[in-house]
Amino acid sequence: MNATSPALTMGGLPKGSARRILPGLLTLLAMMLILIVCGTIQPRIWSQGGMTLIMSPIVALAIATMAQMVLMSIGDIDLSIGFFVGMVTTIVATFMRETPLMGVLALAACVLAYAMIGALVQLREVPSLIATLGASFIWLGVGLFILPVPGGLAPDWLFQYAMWRPPFSIPVPIVTMVFATAITWLFMQRTRLGARFRSLGSNPTALARTGASLLLTRMLAYATTGFLGVLAGVTLTAEIGGGDVNAVPGYTLTTIAAVILGGGMFTGGRSVAWGALFGAVTLGLMTVLLTLLNLSSNLQPAVQGSIVIAVLAGRLVVERLTR
Amino acid sequence: MKGLSEISPPPWLWSFLAAIIVLLLTFLVSGVGGSQTVTLAFTIAPYLVLVGLGQMLVMSAGPGNIDVSVAKVFSLGGLLSIAIGEMTGSWVLGIAGAMLAGLALSAISVVAILYVRIPPIVATLATSLITSAISLTLAKGFQGSADPAVKSFLNWAPFGVPAFAVLVVIFTVFVSWLLKRTVWGVQTLAFGQARRAAEYAGISAPRTLTVVYLTSGVLAALAGALRAAFSAPNVELGNDYLLDSIAVVVIGGTLISGGRAVPWGVWGGALFFILLDGLLNLIGWSYAGQSMLKGLLVLAVLFLAGGSPILRRRGARSPASWISRAMRFRAQERPSAQTSRHRRRAP
Repeated sequence: MNATSPALTMGGLPKGSARRILPGLLTLLAMMLILIVCGTIQPRIWSQGGMTLIMSPIVALAIATMAQMVLMSIGDIDLSIGFFVGMVTTIVATFMRETPLMGVLALAACVLAYAMIGALVQLREVPSLIATLGASFIWLGVGLFILPVPGGLAPDWLFQYAMWRPPFSIPVPIVTMVFATAITWLFMQRTRLGARFRSLGSNPTALARTGASLLLTRMLAYATTGFLGVLAGVTLTAEIGGGDVNAVPGYTLTTIAAVILGGGMFTGGRSVAWGALFGAVTLGLMTVLLTLLNLSSNLQPAVQGSIVIAVLAGRLVVERLTR
Repeated sequence: MKGLSEISPPPWLWSFLAAIIVLLLTFLVSGVGGSQTVTLAFTIAPYLVLVGLGQMLVMSAGPGNIDVSVAKVFSLGGLLSIAIGEMTGSWVLGIAGAMLAGLALSAISVVAILYVRIPPIVATLATSLITSAISLTLAKGFQGSADPAVKSFLNWAPFGVPAFAVLVVIFTVFVSWLLKRTVWGVQTLAFGQARRAAEYAGISAPRTLTVVYLTSGVLAALAGALRAAFSAPNVELGNDYLLDSIAVVVIGGTLISGGRAVPWGVWGGALFFILLDGLLNLIGWSYAGQSMLKGLLVLAVLFLAGGSPILRRRGARSPASWISRAMRFRAQERPSAQTSRHRRRAP
């Protein structure tokens, strides 16, 4: 079949779409596998309460992965998202509770700061890796400045949202994750700005020729990342109940791995919201699986690392087959 | 062209200039106690320099190459060297074992990068995760202390000059010589500047990448082993070394897009960072303030040194330079550059 229509793969998909979608599907498969294994060991996770329990720690990771995905779609990498999300939790757990207006202003300033980093990257031609690395020191400093030790309390409306039980026994975390992913997908695939982000990643020359401002596009992409990072921080505050800048430094690298698992590329130009969601959930479910298997939580990072290598090796095989 | 390159200052100058400014400020603040600050800085800096030199080699091997496993390998090196040292009673075996572990772990990265074709940042991340699992398992109920001989050597500073720092300076000279004067060094840098051209010229990609990643792993483990002997082994011993090693390498003038390695810049960057920490401690800044200032300084250095001149002069194909070219295209169509690009695209 490949011989007669080289542009089509076994699934009848155009080659480009196959390349874009297959990695995500593969990750979805891995995710399903883990869920099934978990469900076999402990059938109670299939209930609304059980699903909420295992999924709620993953929500913030999934949204932070969306943030990373937006930045990777323009060909940049954010090495500061872990501390950024941590810093947002400190703001939410202090200002948002006591003086909501100040809190909102502070969070808006965070988004603006991200846009400024985007401007620095574009204007001074510095690598995003290093610029965001420098920013991560600043987020850590600001977070420690607001809350030197973990503490504070999430605003009541956040607790109420976390306690909400939606109808049809749909777990809240899944609602949040799917909603955030759907919005990101719509934005990246169906709006003009999303198309500009992707073309900034794949072919900046072409984007410049269309008359768009590269500076503005990059700044908006960074601002979008900052906005999603703020959302991730808000959901994380709901999850941990307070603020801690050192809550999730591991997100920085886990989100990158999740985007890559979902089919993203370092060179940019590819936006894979759903794939990134599957990647984040797969990596997040590791904790649950190890607990259910009665394995030491010390082994969790090793299993996570091996899964990343295994899924990417699987993708290599799939890509060879679809070639 | 020759004249221009002779006028431009060496890339490591800025990091040393920054370190000297911080040093002068330290003298201003502390007065007499300043020389102790310098000794202390030279006692702590070599560990960061060792990790930084490995990171520098990796980064010089071309765009996208980065080793994010150094922090965890550093911690594991510390734990392992002390554990083996306790078990066998020989610190030499301990350090050798740590270096061997560093070699084995970076071999995982190398296999993942070369044969599974995983981007280096994710491959080394996976290695880092595996390493941290080993460290956590090893650290459970861990007890042990370093050999007193090693410890006293690391603290030994005749005439206020730490002996260990001198060793690392000699090692830096060696790395510098390797990069400038040996076929291997020139090949690695050529590979970093233009991978495809280097491969056409017969430079083996697997060999180049294998050597730089293995070196980085071994150096991180060695630095960790020594650092653990200097203070105490700990799972979180290396955590600061990931961001710091990348930052000092870049502040030191090494190009993140590859092809230019500046070993002395690593020293400048490390001294700058450590002296800065010392100064801020001296004037009573909290860790929060220190971290914020560090971040602002990294961004300021990027702002001043951004768009490194070598990148523009040689037209290296980094994403950033592509975009600048795109912007220039917009301002004025340049036929010569355009035709050359078309020729490049043609099969």
